[in-house]
Amino acid sequence: MDFAPVLDGFAVVLEPTNLLYCLIGVVVGMLVGVLPGLGPAATIAILLPITIGIEPVTAIIMLAGIFYGAQYGGTITSVLLKLPGEASSVVTVFDGHALARQGKAGTALGIAAIGSFIGGTVSIVALTFLAPLVAGFALDFGPPEYTALALLGILLVATVSGGSRLKAVIAACVGLLLATVGRDMFTGGERFTFGNLDLADGLDFVPIAMGLFGLGEILYNLEERHTAAAAPARIANVWPSRSDLKQSSGAIGRGSVLGFLLGILPGGGATLSSLAAYAVEKRRSKSPERFGNGAVEGVAGPETANNAAATSSFIPLLTLGIPANATMAVIYGALLVQGVNVGPRLVDDDPELFWGVVNSMYIGNILLLIMSIPLVGLFVRILRVRPAILAPITVLITLVGVYTVNNSVFDIVLVIVFGLLGYLMKKAGFDPGPLLLAFVLGSLLEDSLRRSLLIFDGDAFAFFTRPISGTLLAVFLLVVLYPVIRSALTRRRSAERPIDSKELV
Amino acid sequence: MTSAHDGAHTPGSPGGRTAAGASPQGGVDHVPSTLHDLEDAVHRLEAEAEHRPPPAGPATNLVVALLVVALGVAALVGSTELGAGSARTPGPGTWPLILGVLLVVLGIGLAVVARRTSDAERFSPATWSVLAGLATMVAFVAVIGFIGFEIPAALLCFVWLRFLGGEGWRTSVLVSLGVVIAFYLIFVAALSVPIPHLF
Amino acid sequence: MTTNHRVRRWATAGAGLTLALSLAACGGNVGGGSAEGEDFPGDEPITILVGQDAGGSTDLIARELAEGVSDELGVPVTVENKPGANGALAAQELAGEDADGHTLMVYNGSLAYITPLANEDAPDIADYEIVTGISLDDYVLVTAPDSGFSTVEDLAAAGRPITFGTTGVGTGSQLSQELLFAQADIDATAVPFDGGSPTLTAVLGGQVDVGSIQLGEALEQIEAGELDAIVTFAEERPSFLSDVPTAVEAGYDVPVQQSRAVFAPKDTPDEVLEALRSAFEVAFEDEGYQAFNEENALTANQVDGDEIRETWTSNLDEYRSVVEEFGIDLGGDQ
Repeated sequence: MDFAPVLDGFAVVLEPTNLLYCLIGVVVGMLVGVLPGLGPAATIAILLPITIGIEPVTAIIMLAGIFYGAQYGGTITSVLLKLPGEASSVVTVFDGHALARQGKAGTALGIAAIGSFIGGTVSIVALTFLAPLVAGFALDFGPPEYTALALLGILLVATVSGGSRLKAVIAACVGLLLATVGRDMFTGGERFTFGNLDLADGLDFVPIAMGLFGLGEILYNLEERHTAAAAPARIANVWPSRSDLKQSSGAIGRGSVLGFLLGILPGGGATLSSLAAYAVEKRRSKSPERFGNGAVEGVAGPETANNAAATSSFIPLLTLGIPANATMAVIYGALLVQGVNVGPRLVDDDPELFWGVVNSMYIGNILLLIMSIPLVGLFVRILRVRPAILAPITVLITLVGVYTVNNSVFDIVLVIVFGLLGYLMKKAGFDPGPLLLAFVLGSLLEDSLRRSLLIFDGDAFAFFTRPISGTLLAVFLLVVLYPVIRSALTRRRSAERPIDSKELV
Repeated sequence: MTSAHDGAHTPGSPGGRTAAGASPQGGVDHVPSTLHDLEDAVHRLEAEAEHRPPPAGPATNLVVALLVVALGVAALVGSTELGAGSARTPGPGTWPLILGVLLVVLGIGLAVVARRTSDAERFSPATWSVLAGLATMVAFVAVIGFIGFEIPAALLCFVWLRFLGGEGWRTSVLVSLGVVIAFYLIFVAALSVPIPHLF
Repeated sequence: MTTNHRVRRWATAGAGLTLALSLAACGGNVGGGSAEGEDFPGDEPITILVGQDAGGSTDLIARELAEGVSDELGVPVTVENKPGANGALAAQELAGEDADGHTLMVYNGSLAYITPLANEDAPDIADYEIVTGISLDDYVLVTAPDSGFSTVEDLAAAGRPITFGTTGVGTGSQLSQELLFAQADIDATAVPFDGGSPTLTAVLGGQVDVGSIQLGEALEQIEAGELDAIVTFAEERPSFLSDVPTAVEAGYDVPVQQSRAVFAPKDTPDEVLEALRSAFEVAFEDEGYQAFNEENALTANQVDGDEIRETWTSNLDEYRSVVEEFGIDLGGDQ
């Protein structure tokens, strides 16, 4: 492969502005990770308006920094306070906090930082080689392939998202329906606009993302969910000992590979990979009883895996234009708002952006490693800022910020409406993630489906006659049918385990 | 304002997990090994960290299911008006039609399992504070075109701090003023965003 | 509850304060109109709307010109993409802007003389002021080299219905191919894509048999041998692609061109239009801009607004009659 664009990408990252935004992104990400409540998707959604005015590559470098920075930030609260700041750091609580109670918080944080760095780096290297390879197939991706890919992506995200699968699929359908509002590309006619000029253009992504994730979470947290902050554990020795490192080297290696692979899968991503890495470490261990009582591998594996996955989940986005999880959906939206054509041709058409973003992750990971340990004390102090003070400020940033995108008061109305929807969804047990992802992919899916049907002359079975779309659809059917098969098998094996509603879809 | 989750220790909270208080006993009682157990353990931890209110009753779940069905029916009606088209010549209504059918089917599925659903939360007295928060935002957007963003922003901030957040009077007033001044300096003075402003 | 009383008292106080302040308001922008006309452009920035995606030819042209105009007028000129419905969304937005010369749009001719054939809601150029013409762009019918098609006759002899990619409903890309296939009596299905670049990708990958794309967007691939040009839809062979026959030469009467002009909202004061026009003229003279035209196979067409209005109106009438003659329905709901 040709390395010139890769090196040019480094030149892009090393521009002072980009370095600065990378640093800002990573620090904001760590902060967000530390503060329970707002996740990276919400933060990136809230910061979307800021990115409009800056160069696309700079904007995405910052947003990416927030994403992988948050993976590390979440670790700190998991270890010190037993409060996972991020879903992907939940398993870290098991052994991380146990270590902290033994006075080895520093060891846990140090191992997590090193593991995160290695996992992230392994993923970037693999991304560097894999992405152009995938882009080589770009021309084989026609409307049928995009139809299959978008379907599979939405289904996988709905399947592995938290909570009921049935509800996740419903949320996805609502997202797809919302995406049809506006002018129909094929006929130029308006759909579901009710004669409203503000809707003729379709619903804008930014207010939806900011409303569902940003305001929705703030309103949800308003309902007396303040957690009493426990006294943070003391940090004594910051650097892990040699024996700790030796003990966790295997876990870091396995975590890197596992995280990378799961991150690529749509719907995979950081949370799932950290769970899987923990399970793998425990099963492989000769002394599984140590897990939960401060096993270093129990921190190293998941932390490595979640960072590796955070990085590799950029692969489907940057090579195919398919976001693998909700956060990627928000970043996808940011790219669209910037006018970047995300898709298989991105790496050839806009190598500066592509390699700039990829290479910024090396720098970002180095920054994380350098800053994380000395800044731990600071972050612990930040935890004491009362959520009651942060909430109104975040609300105002959202309301004023969404206005600045299109200078439109209608967008403020939209963000409030979707904030209410986001709150009600959480209340009723719906995860808003699949809705947003489906909304982002909605027009791609519909347009591709209609183009495919035109090309196939109405023959829906022709999807299966093309190798790529056929394979993707076969996987799609497998995922749809798997829970049914599994529940049938479980029922036969043991009748005592009740089948919960989760397994009905 | 009274605390809402005094009754949060009821067994059978969302997802059938026990909403234990912040009892740190043993962190995780049994350490999970399979992915499935792990998921459960994770949910338990999350519930513990969040103090989730008790689950909603079957009636709420049924209402949610009916809303989904209603949305599906609306999509069906809308799609036939747009022209449903056919597989050979898909029209503007084809895709909404498919989605409408899916929503109706899935909504009915939701209604069927409504009695066994436990992941929805009951509305509590604290829900009023959510409504109050929402009202401040609605008021904000309603008046911003007439009197600019400064006064509504300060009032919103103040209401959130003093009444929703339970901060002291002094903190509330100072933070509200500080935030509005900072916003003015950033958005109006520095970025010259054309947001309606008074000064 | 005491809390409620407090809220009410504060709300009253707040309302009183509000009223007092709004009466005394002086420096704000609430409800105030801005002075216009005399000292255009003042120090307010100018926005040029583009109804197509970033990176497409219309967008590139707008960005190239924005630079020159900004230098000339001494205010920032930014390009804002508002893609959708072949530019109708951007046009709609332009119509709602203040007629002070601070919001302009690069308007595509196809939106004026082709889109109305597909959709009666299309904007009417009578509702805008025209600052100046910009340039002309030709359409070329391309196919992937391994498709086995190299002439219109090959397409007619395919023995199966062919698929053709268009850059959208109501575009020159669609009209040119619909007219060609109707006249050549070829059974063909239109597959609309969202702009030139996706259409190009679909033709390159063999997803559709042929596609009609603006010359500037396809020239690079044609020269590199990644695409074969079948015919161009120009009246005479464009100098950039002189070895490819025109459709007229091949025996089909389908001249379709893309033309672009700078539009302003209706009732923009004459002196503002004049100031803008001379700023654009300076930008047109720039060597960099002329090289850009050359590179992108664009023919300069820097005529004044009246001439644009006249040509585009007569184009619309002409196309309306051929479309009726061949019974072509450009709208998607056949």
